[in-house]
Amino acid sequence: MTKTATTSLQRKRARETHVAAAVFLAPVVVLLAVFIFYPIFDTFHISTFKWNGIDANPVFIGLGNWAALLKDGAFWIAFRNNITIMVCSILVQIPLGLAMATFLDFGGTKKLNVFKILWFIPLLMSSVAIGFLFTYALATNGGIVSTISRFLGGKNIDLLGNPRLALFTVIMVIAWQFTPFYMVYCMAAYTNIPMEVFEASIIDGATKPQYFRHIALPLLMPSLKSAAILSMVGSLKYFDLIYVMTGGGPGTSTELMATYMYKQSFKNFNMGYGSAVAAGMFLLITCMALATMRLINQKEG
Amino acid sequence: MDKYRASRVKSAAAWALAFVFAIVATVFAVMPFVFMVLNSFKEKFEMLQKGVFALPQELYLDNYIGVMAGNFGVFFRNSVLVLAVSLTLLLFVSACASYPLSKMHFGLADPIYGVIVACMSIPLHITLIPVFRMMQNLHLYNTIWALPGPYIAFGVPISVFILTSFMKGIPDEIIESAEIDGCNKYGMFFRIMLPLSKPGLSTLAIYNGVNMWNEFSFAYTLTQDAAHRTLPLAVWEYRGQYSMNTPMIMAVLTLTVLPMIVLFAVAQDKLVKGMTAGAVKG
Amino acid sequence: MKRTHVTVLGKRALAVALGVVCAVGLAACGSGSGSGAAATTAASGGGQTAAAPAPGGGDDKTIEFWHIATEGGHKVKVEAAIEKFNSTTQSGYKVVGVPIQNDTYKEKLVIAMSSGECPDAYVSWSGGPMNEYINSGFARELDALFDATPNKDKYLEGALAQGRLDGKLYGIPYHNTSISGVFYNTEIFAKYGLEEPKTLEDLEKICDTLLENDIIPFALANGSKWTGSMYFMSLAARKGGLEPFQKAVAGEGTFEDAAFIYAGEKIQEWVKKGYFPEGVNSLSEDDGQAKQLMYQEAAGMLLCGSWYTGTFSDDSKEFYAKVNWFSFPEITGSGADPKIQIGTVGDQFISMNCDGDKLKAAVEFATIFSDDDMIQVGIDNGTVPPFKGVVDQLTDPCTVKIMQAAADAPEIQLWYDQYLPPAVATAHLDGSQEIFGLTKTPEQAAKMMQDAMAKYNSESK
Repeated sequence: MTKTATTSLQRKRARETHVAAAVFLAPVVVLLAVFIFYPIFDTFHISTFKWNGIDANPVFIGLGNWAALLKDGAFWIAFRNNITIMVCSILVQIPLGLAMATFLDFGGTKKLNVFKILWFIPLLMSSVAIGFLFTYALATNGGIVSTISRFLGGKNIDLLGNPRLALFTVIMVIAWQFTPFYMVYCMAAYTNIPMEVFEASIIDGATKPQYFRHIALPLLMPSLKSAAILSMVGSLKYFDLIYVMTGGGPGTSTELMATYMYKQSFKNFNMGYGSAVAAGMFLLITCMALATMRLINQKEG
Repeated sequence: MDKYRASRVKSAAAWALAFVFAIVATVFAVMPFVFMVLNSFKEKFEMLQKGVFALPQELYLDNYIGVMAGNFGVFFRNSVLVLAVSLTLLLFVSACASYPLSKMHFGLADPIYGVIVACMSIPLHITLIPVFRMMQNLHLYNTIWALPGPYIAFGVPISVFILTSFMKGIPDEIIESAEIDGCNKYGMFFRIMLPLSKPGLSTLAIYNGVNMWNEFSFAYTLTQDAAHRTLPLAVWEYRGQYSMNTPMIMAVLTLTVLPMIVLFAVAQDKLVKGMTAGAVKG
Repeated sequence: MKRTHVTVLGKRALAVALGVVCAVGLAACGSGSGSGAAATTAASGGGQTAAAPAPGGGDDKTIEFWHIATEGGHKVKVEAAIEKFNSTTQSGYKVVGVPIQNDTYKEKLVIAMSSGECPDAYVSWSGGPMNEYINSGFARELDALFDATPNKDKYLEGALAQGRLDGKLYGIPYHNTSISGVFYNTEIFAKYGLEEPKTLEDLEKICDTLLENDIIPFALANGSKWTGSMYFMSLAARKGGLEPFQKAVAGEGTFEDAAFIYAGEKIQEWVKKGYFPEGVNSLSEDDGQAKQLMYQEAAGMLLCGSWYTGTFSDDSKEFYAKVNWFSFPEITGSGADPKIQIGTVGDQFISMNCDGDKLKAAVEFATIFSDDDMIQVGIDNGTVPPFKGVVDQLTDPCTVKIMQAAADAPEIQLWYDQYLPPAVATAHLDGSQEIFGLTKTPEQAAKMMQDAMAKYNSESK
């Protein structure tokens, strides 16, 4: 076999790979171009106008909205709140989800199916129902938490109306809703560990905690890292339950970038500025996500 | 022997503890659902006067009768249709895209992956106006066919992200041996990658399915007549400017979530089978 | 077997997928090409409006009417009006109603308007948002057409005033009259020998008596923000009349005026004394947490809009029989006219975005709500349509009392949060909630509001 023959074969292979890659990626790229790239481009464009969202004649103001955004205390408070949600979500939801999946995985299959189904229910419920029921459950007077607190000899606790507690209260409700997702996610990751690995480790005399710490956890690590990225991005653009339960209040204590953007764009007739908020939000989240991914990969290398 | 017994005892104790936690977790997970169902059997004044956490005084069925007499059937049918089409296409195109990103070596793989990840960070609300205009131009506005496009597109980034990392975990040896058997890239996708990605796909099916089933913003932006609305908009008929019939809304929401629970309960057995099949081969 | 199955399924799915993707892709190109650059939302959206005055899908003889009557008596009334118009009109036009739930209505309207798909007729609450619609060219001046309608003299002047901007009529009122005031439980009042207060001191004495008997004086759910704003508006109006507000809006005065500071201070005094439920800022009006306190008889009074007559009677006739109402009492020595009321005369106003004969037909439709039979439908469903003589037709004693107060009012100021420019309204609501939470002083909240107002005034010049 000569050298030229090898390279031409390699080239042919490379070309085949490129064609195949293009074919497989085409549908997704087109979809994203239409429904995501275009709106993002649009958003950056609108962010250079002073525009109420409906008028035929928006006023071009260049980077005026962006300058205002950098100085806007409310936006940075919202950003800080998002960071708090992100940190808490990663620290609460993923470990809990992993614990639930581990319980189900170690316990074998059939008997624990009931738990699996019941634990999954929060993810299925609509935000409207969750908002309504938790608003009552968390009420200062007569709510479940306050009733327990009084039973233990404490006082009523104002969980949603106290600016210092409101954010953490909502974080707990969000965790309640999303932990099942990480449970399912970790369960899928567990199924990727071949049965033989488990059997071999038990034959070698490892206890289940040892198996978990030294064998399963390292094998699950890549999945957990992806889960952390998902949780991060999800937290930074979070909207639903906050909007339903607190509307960003009291004051700005639970305001998030997404709720702030929504208020500016659709309630305050400030579409230009709202677009700057959205675009800023997009840049911040993307940079943070990509930087984290790079960091994670570096550690692996 | 002693050591063995000690570890048995320890293990039993650990299991007992785990079980207690599992029961507690179950109570937490299920309580809101239980109260949603209980409140759907109350009359609205009763709910407020006796309290949301009181048991219903009697089995009051009028809410359900009222809901079923309305447009619920139409909304349900629409939701099922949109879900079936969107979810199938979403899973398929995501798997397609994840294959080259995870298993082929070409220069643009990393940048494209980065861009798709970046798409996860787009806030949904900024896309409402462009997508609304697009659907108007396509004459899809006010039909349920306006919904699959955005539903798929918004599911793609997270799905590709998860599936790519999942497919990376499929051993290269399997692919190489298939290549030696003369399998080309397309055959490889259908015969090896898709079947082996079942656990990942089923996770995504669950997650995206739930999201699409409860999706609200695109649904009200892109549809208009009752005949073309989906389930999350069914609560409209029980909610006005100054009043809302909460027990009736709870009835709607109960009827909305029940099919999903049943589906999960029935399908998860199959999902587990799919998952273990993948695991054994992997 | 299984593998082939997967393959066939896969191929079929692929075909469908590609079809969808191509269609969508082509469409996107099509929509982009119209305006040159892909991203000219603003310019292209508005341009379409000017170029195509017949939005809402081709059919010229249809008037597309967006409203929020999705539920209950409101739905009955709007459907009856559409039905009546369509069967009696000589105009050749038909109205097609599009109900959209209140919470998402404003947003959907903005989306439609920005895309040049504004409906031919739509409701708004007048005030700040309506002014935005008008200034952006989505509402026609209606004076000439309205004056030509047979029912024009039936409209209350106060109602028409709220549908005007700069003296021109843009919104035709149709729905309800609601003023803010205090509902109270007569059984509780009788039990403790309490009577309707004449002055603010009387009211505070009532509150103290209720507190001593472990009854919450005011049921309030201020998670919704606008509910607490009612206290702020009432106190400010009784302290200084409407002049401070009107001047502050015009840029001649300020929201840091003594009347507003007084209102904030009084609210904080009441919060500290325990006049409101615990955790007032966490309670949700939408979820019924204020009326629940009334129904459980845990609270004695509720200050809110008078649409609550309908809410109470709809929930329980039995409870409603125990309820009575009084106007917010005067502050002795303030010099402000205690007959001034805060509220809306009309509640919802219909604006038009069409021209020529269609506009004429749309006005004909909007005024059909003032026909006697339509008024009766409104009254039967617990509303007080904003027309002359309606008061005489009312039989419910509580409603009669409220409407008498409305009729006696020299002026009725529209709710701040609807009247003010939207960004200022947000500042007001946020600030007022923080006053209740004791997290901002009245001065800080006032400054927030004033800054927002000054910003708006300087930008709109």
